[in-house]
Amino acid sequence: MESRIKRWLLRTDPRNLAVAVVVALVVTLVPALPAQAAHPEFQLEIRDHLFYPSVLKVPANTKVRLIVINRDTTPEEFESYELNREKVIMGGQKAVIFIGPLAPGEYPFFGEFNPKTAQGKVIVE
Amino acid sequence: MLLTSVILVLREVLEAALLLSILLAMSHYLELKTRWIFMALAGGILGSMVYGAGIGTVSDTFDGMGQELLNATMQFAIYGLLLLVGILLILNRRGERRYLPLLQWSMVLAVTLATLREGSEVYVYLMAFRYQADLLQSVLLGAFIGGGIGFSIGALFYYLLVGLPRKRRLIVALTLLALVAAGLCLQATQLLEQADWLPAQSPLWDSSAVLSENSVLGQLSYALLGYEATPTRNVVAAYLCGLLLMTALLLLAWAKSRSQP
Repeated sequence: MESRIKRWLLRTDPRNLAVAVVVALVVTLVPALPAQAAHPEFQLEIRDHLFYPSVLKVPANTKVRLIVINRDTTPEEFESYELNREKVIMGGQKAVIFIGPLAPGEYPFFGEFNPKTAQGKVIVE
Repeated sequence: MLLTSVILVLREVLEAALLLSILLAMSHYLELKTRWIFMALAGGILGSMVYGAGIGTVSDTFDGMGQELLNATMQFAIYGLLLLVGILLILNRRGERRYLPLLQWSMVLAVTLATLREGSEVYVYLMAFRYQADLLQSVLLGAFIGGGIGFSIGALFYYLLVGLPRKRRLIVALTLLALVAAGLCLQATQLLEQADWLPAQSPLWDSSAVLSENSVLGQLSYALLGYEATPTRNVVAAYLCGLLLMTALLLLAWAKSRSQP
């Protein structure tokens, strides 16, 4: 059995290896088509390095579209280990972040550039 | 401000520093010149500034998903480069000195991309303080300390690798490279979920009680193994596919190099 694999490998042209790499990369790189379903929308604002509202309730087991508007002039990074999300939002910019579907529970998030003040949580119910 | 800055910069630097130390150890193994590292770091810093300055514009493309898509593309590109580096390392393992320019440029590009991806966030953060002279000093000091700790961990890791017996060194480095690469596939998939380009499911498990991503060990495992406490099915699949593909191709390259006299 081992010798058969060996023989096969010996017969294989090095160029085939290169082709295999390219094919594998293309397969990995081509992302799925964007999903076009409508998702419920929720909005957050950042003002003076604080989130408004700081507690956001969203439905369970549903993907939601979270809109975060940074009203400050300084940038912020929306970050959450629990939600597995991170996104830089420049001053005055509006960002869209999809979250979920999630099981009921509490999911804290924070602003990585101002973690002492910019804190909040998503409550899924 | 000081502590925030230390933690932020350390988190961003860690991943690139670990990757850099693995590749440097392999350069040492093959007795290559290590001048490429300066080029990679210069490229990474310059790239951080360019991407950091343009991140607002990038974000607005693709219906507000430009940031996620560009970052995911970069992660997949680094994956491809690490795969190439791994194969070329194997083909050179007995001092054949083949395809060396390709190997070095792949290393340069991989480290440049890894540095600029994380460095751009540091740049955006630091630039916010440019007019606040009272805070700037402690922020910069924090960044310096954070960066110092990150690169020290990288240096420690480098000497651990270089100190291994020669026979085992390549295997250990290739294993680490494959794990880091699989972690990149995981991160990219997560970004595509965040952008709604991939469907998301509820997390498969929650291991945050055992190892929190927020802890020091959690951060290290994240940088080195792609650890994720609450991964979705697609994210786990991407990790496994990335790992299996790389393992298979590296084994193939190994068998190939053995068969040649």
